[in-house]
Amino acid sequence: MEVTLLLEATENAFRILQRAREHAVGVLDTAVEFTAEETRYCDEKRCRALFTGAQRKKTQIHNFVGTSIILFAFWMLLSGKFDAFHLGLGAICCTLVAYLFHDLLFANVRVGDMRIVTARFIAYIPWLIEQIVLANIHVASLVLRPKMPIDPQIIEFKTKLETDISCVTLANSITLTPGTITIDIKDGVYYVHALSQKVADDLNAGEMEDRVAHIFMEADHLYVQDVLDAARIYQTLRV
Amino acid sequence: MTQFFLFVGVGMCALVLLCLYRATYGPTVLNRAAGISAIGTKTLIILLLMGVIYDRIDMFIDISMVYALLNFIGCVVLAKYLETTGEVSC
Amino acid sequence: MTRASDDVIIKALARLLMPFIVAYALYVVMHGHHSPGGGFQGGVILAAGFVLLVVTHGLEQTRKRMSEKLAGVISSIGVFIYGGIGALCLILGGNYLDYGKLSKILLVTPAEARSLGILGVEIGVALAVMAVMYIIFFAIFTAGESPEDDGRAE
Repeated sequence: MEVTLLLEATENAFRILQRAREHAVGVLDTAVEFTAEETRYCDEKRCRALFTGAQRKKTQIHNFVGTSIILFAFWMLLSGKFDAFHLGLGAICCTLVAYLFHDLLFANVRVGDMRIVTARFIAYIPWLIEQIVLANIHVASLVLRPKMPIDPQIIEFKTKLETDISCVTLANSITLTPGTITIDIKDGVYYVHALSQKVADDLNAGEMEDRVAHIFMEADHLYVQDVLDAARIYQTLRV
Repeated sequence: MTQFFLFVGVGMCALVLLCLYRATYGPTVLNRAAGISAIGTKTLIILLLMGVIYDRIDMFIDISMVYALLNFIGCVVLAKYLETTGEVSC
Repeated sequence: MTRASDDVIIKALARLLMPFIVAYALYVVMHGHHSPGGGFQGGVILAAGFVLLVVTHGLEQTRKRMSEKLAGVISSIGVFIYGGIGALCLILGGNYLDYGKLSKILLVTPAEARSLGILGVEIGVALAVMAVMYIIFFAIFTAGESPEDDGRAE
């Protein structure tokens, strides 16, 4: 009787030990699993951080070089002295300014379209000058007529432009044209003061807005540019 | 040619007087601000004409650029001040 | 008055103009000896650029580029450059700010040494003027509230 009791007790103890061992193995397995997951997650995160950091550094260097080249051209235009001493001073100053303000000049610029934008902007200027001359004649004729048939009004229109620089170009073009003045831009809605009905109609026709959108490759060209950007990133990833 | 520029400069001075009238008797503070900034642009043209007349255009271009810059910044600061103090409804 | 402006036009224009304003100010300082301008004027234009940045982008953004503490250090450095060049001339056996004596150190003719000495003094004056104008503008702009604490609280 006592022997069977003893046997039972040992068996029980053995079973408990077995269960404890299984439990411990299970805990260890989950721990190992967790650590592996953690490491993998960390690796991914580090990779992503490295990638975005490299991208940011690259754009920073691009911005820095672009800003300093533009500033150096500006300096030579101002200075007009081309001896080594003044050019060296200019190079030092431009590098310093570009280092301090490299994030200001090219903020919100999309990748790889600067040359096209510049060419289109230069092509836009003659058209703008022509518009200014035409509007000037119109406003002068309005003002010089003794009855002065003006019809001042504030017109609102919603714009399709997205980046700030194109909004500013359109607003300044409107202000440069005599008879119309941009008062405010709030949430993509332009408030423009127009002197007469003809000027307001010209503005509402939207030719100027279309041309500005064409310069900065917005609206219709947006998707093409997005694909180009994605292709560039994809290429970097593959290499 | 110098004569021509001289006459243009005198005409600009007359325009400055008109703007000065608006800046002095302007009914609201916004009229005064617009008048002052218009005087600034006229002064800039007068400076450049003086540069042509005195044959020192390189020197006067520097001065006029500083003048334009300070005029612009003064205008922006004045507008910001008026907007913040709420003297005019913006 | 210390908040950033929400106007798109003025913000973008200030962003585009700022590097050119600073480059122009440095041009005025560096060419002070053969065109109008010089240390004081260049310093004022530099400070004007920072004023534009404060008005359009707000105090916090500007403080990231130049804090009041940094402005204080820069003003001291400017005065030190000015006084240092003057004292150097004194040590070399001339009068105070007698640039011709600098030719012994710089190994150039006295005329060139004079030109270089004036350039150095102008850089010092420009730095001091810029920093002091900036500090004065900050003090007026924040209307006497302690600006450093204000920045930390926000």
